[in-house]
Amino acid sequence: MSLRSALGWIAASLVVAAAPTAAAQQPLDQGKYPAFEGQWIRIGPIERFDQTKPPALGQEAPLTPEYQAIFRANLADVAKGGFGDDPVYTCIPEGMPRAMNLILPMEFVIKPNITYIHMEYLGMLRRIYTDGRSFPADEAPSWMGYSIGKWLDEGGSGRYDVLEVETRSLKNPRTYDASGLPLHQDAQTIVKERFYLDKASPDTLHDQITVYDHALTHPWTVLKTMRREPNPIWVESVCAENNLQVNIGNEHYMLNNLGELMPAKKDQPPPDLKHFNQPKK
Amino acid sequence: MKVRLTIALAALVSAAATGAALAHHSFAMFDTQHPMEISGTVREFRFVNPHSVLVVTVRGENGAATDWTLECPAPGILARQGVTPSTFKAGDQFKGTISPLHSGEAGGSYFPPQVDLANGRPSAPTK
Repeated sequence: MSLRSALGWIAASLVVAAAPTAAAQQPLDQGKYPAFEGQWIRIGPIERFDQTKPPALGQEAPLTPEYQAIFRANLADVAKGGFGDDPVYTCIPEGMPRAMNLILPMEFVIKPNITYIHMEYLGMLRRIYTDGRSFPADEAPSWMGYSIGKWLDEGGSGRYDVLEVETRSLKNPRTYDASGLPLHQDAQTIVKERFYLDKASPDTLHDQITVYDHALTHPWTVLKTMRREPNPIWVESVCAENNLQVNIGNEHYMLNNLGELMPAKKDQPPPDLKHFNQPKK
Repeated sequence: MKVRLTIALAALVSAAATGAALAHHSFAMFDTQHPMEISGTVREFRFVNPHSVLVVTVRGENGAATDWTLECPAPGILARQGVTPSTFKAGDQFKGTISPLHSGEAGGSYFPPQVDLANGRPSAPTK
């Protein structure tokens, strides 16, 4: 390689490396984007994927017979005092699409080529690329997934009014909610969303979510609705701080205020202590 | 302080009866079908994640003291209902309805009414 071509290669590399940074630093044209700023709080009951329906079986999720059976087995475990298939009590993130149940509020941070959604609950962060990229071929799965978005001006006003988002590369375990409503174990879930302000109420935000998942007989669409909080407060949500729920082996236990292990179910056997010195009788 | 505690308790008591779902985990380990009232002295209130913890010392008929560990909602939920880290102080008298642990251990769940935002405002009292 000649010196000239080598310098050209280096210069080209620097341009490519610098491009995303430069784009991210472009000032945002406020007039081009919808007024998504502020704090958004769920409207409706806590922990329901379909906010308009009762929890658990009342959600009427279009599960395949196989996953209906899995869900009912989960509910039977919960009825006996277990945690069923809901994994979040161990402090792992809720992941998508459950994160959009919005136990606690969220906020948008809109940049020219990327939009972030920061959720107070568990400090979850969604990163939605809007720079025209395609999904990577071999992205490592994650609970929040890999999201690509597109701003649309459907009203033709010259200002974007819809953010379309598709999320892939999701990681298990995940459920739709705390009832243990399951997603497929193959983790091939695809989540498509449309965020838009209510035309009659600009302080109301909608997120139409459609889930494509092999545990479903057909795509499941729900409409999430949020209100803009005029006097927002933010509270830190670090789950590991004082989680009293403990998983040992296949059993779930609970800690008391002294950090002592307690049974979570009646007549629950203690954990296996074979790796500890046993008191001599 | 007494007024503040009364407001908080009013919220928390009605919640235990609703059996509303906890945010961080299911409610299965608590017996929502058999709520019980306990009275005692606040030993400690920890405004921590994923659930705040209220420890209440309860004296039995024989005078023996037992600490009850009560799991409350996350600070993010309590804060929006007006509960602060100083709402409960050590030494405060406590009387409330809880959902006890199925296991029979001295613990349970104690939390405010399900936040009903259908009208755009929480149903719980705020200060």
